[in-house]
Amino acid sequence: MNPSARRQYAALLRKDLRLEYRTRETIVAMGLFSLVVTILFEFTVGERIGNTSAIAGGIIWATLTLGAVLGVGRTWVPEREQRVLDAILIAPVPRLVMMMARTTALVLFLLGVQVVVVPLAIVFFVNGTSPASLVLIAGVCILADVCIGIMGALLSSMSVFSRTRELVLPVLLLPSLIPVVIAAGGATDAALSAPRQMAEYRGYCLFLAVYAVIFALVAYATFDYILDD
Amino acid sequence: MRHPDAPLVDASGLVRGFGGRRAVDGVDLQVAPGERVAVVGPNGAGKTTLLRIAATLLRREAGTLSLLGWEIPDQAQQARRHLGYLGHDPMVYLDLTAQQNLELFADLYGIDDASECITAALSRVGLLARSHDAVRTFSRGMGQRLGIARLTLHAPRLLLLDEPYTGLDSRGARLLDDLVADVGADRGILMVTHELDRALTGADRVMVMHRGRVAAEFPTAGTDLPEFRKRYAELTA
Repeated sequence: MNPSARRQYAALLRKDLRLEYRTRETIVAMGLFSLVVTILFEFTVGERIGNTSAIAGGIIWATLTLGAVLGVGRTWVPEREQRVLDAILIAPVPRLVMMMARTTALVLFLLGVQVVVVPLAIVFFVNGTSPASLVLIAGVCILADVCIGIMGALLSSMSVFSRTRELVLPVLLLPSLIPVVIAAGGATDAALSAPRQMAEYRGYCLFLAVYAVIFALVAYATFDYILDD
Repeated sequence: MRHPDAPLVDASGLVRGFGGRRAVDGVDLQVAPGERVAVVGPNGAGKTTLLRIAATLLRREAGTLSLLGWEIPDQAQQARRHLGYLGHDPMVYLDLTAQQNLELFADLYGIDDASECITAALSRVGLLARSHDAVRTFSRGMGQRLGIARLTLHAPRLLLLDEPYTGLDSRGARLLDDLVADVGADRGILMVTHELDRALTGADRVMVMHRGRVAAEFPTAGTDLPEFRKRYAELTA
């Protein structure tokens, strides 16, 4: 009986997806919130500025990041409320496997929301776009979501034992995601101007990839200590 | 180097505090294979903290701890394969079915013949007919029985039980009684309980804790309940 990390990872990820399929709490909350903020931006900013194409990337990623905070806040909630956390922590699962499963689940939830919200936001804020731009934006979403997923998994694990977790999590998460929002917004704006700003697009994407690697290294170095005790 | 015949729990001078107060203050604890140890004491005595340290869920601040010969925390992953933990709650996901919950834990523990083990475990606790129902639809007693199925799924060598009889229906209590009675030669039990009669009947040795320390420790054989109650009252006064 020697549990393989791959089997444990698949089991934890399947569990998160099954719970979400049954309850639909995370994706629905993130999606509705992001839609409402998008509409608010449309009425407050879009109505005043005629051409919002130049700032669309910033609006989209500010909206998605605020929505992501809700999703990250839901992380560990079933374990905490249903008191399963001890049973998971006492199982012989490397903490890195737990973090990877949680990160993957968060990335999938974020992508699920973005499939709806990003096209809608483009309709609201961008005057004409090409299919190639949408493909490029999909690449930005994946890179930025990996950054958000890793940081979300790490910080939600840190705050799960805190009494003021609802306050602590956004206070820790949002500042750490500022570089991600800036780069993802810039990359989205560059993608919407494709093929004119491809060099800029590649630069922002490289920045996101490097940031994801840095986040992953930080999480790898600290996750054991966060969850053990 | 791990010794194959090592005690299931071998702890010395365990210390753990919270906010400047020592919840566990220099506790020594040994559980040998085949032995059942009950820890009793009033609220705040440090029983649950001690159990959580033994379960690798809390780090000690001082002292030494090895589980089945594995040094904790360095070799916690190896030790965890052989630990089973049951608390006041069943520790299962309410929105998953009983089957899905046990599948999850079978995968986490790397059980090879998972399907057969799950069917056997559900059958043992009388939940096979409800295996595809969400746990949320279960009564508290049924949930606790599922907790017992989860606890025993990977045949742990060391059972760590924290007030395990809380919320159990009569069938669940019988199941747990049988589990405690049939400990076997190579398994052991460390149980925290408020119920002195259960401690006396279900354990080979009782440890009375008071204010984070071991106030007394004695074998249950030859001790009757009135005498135990009187002694307990004196020790925890």
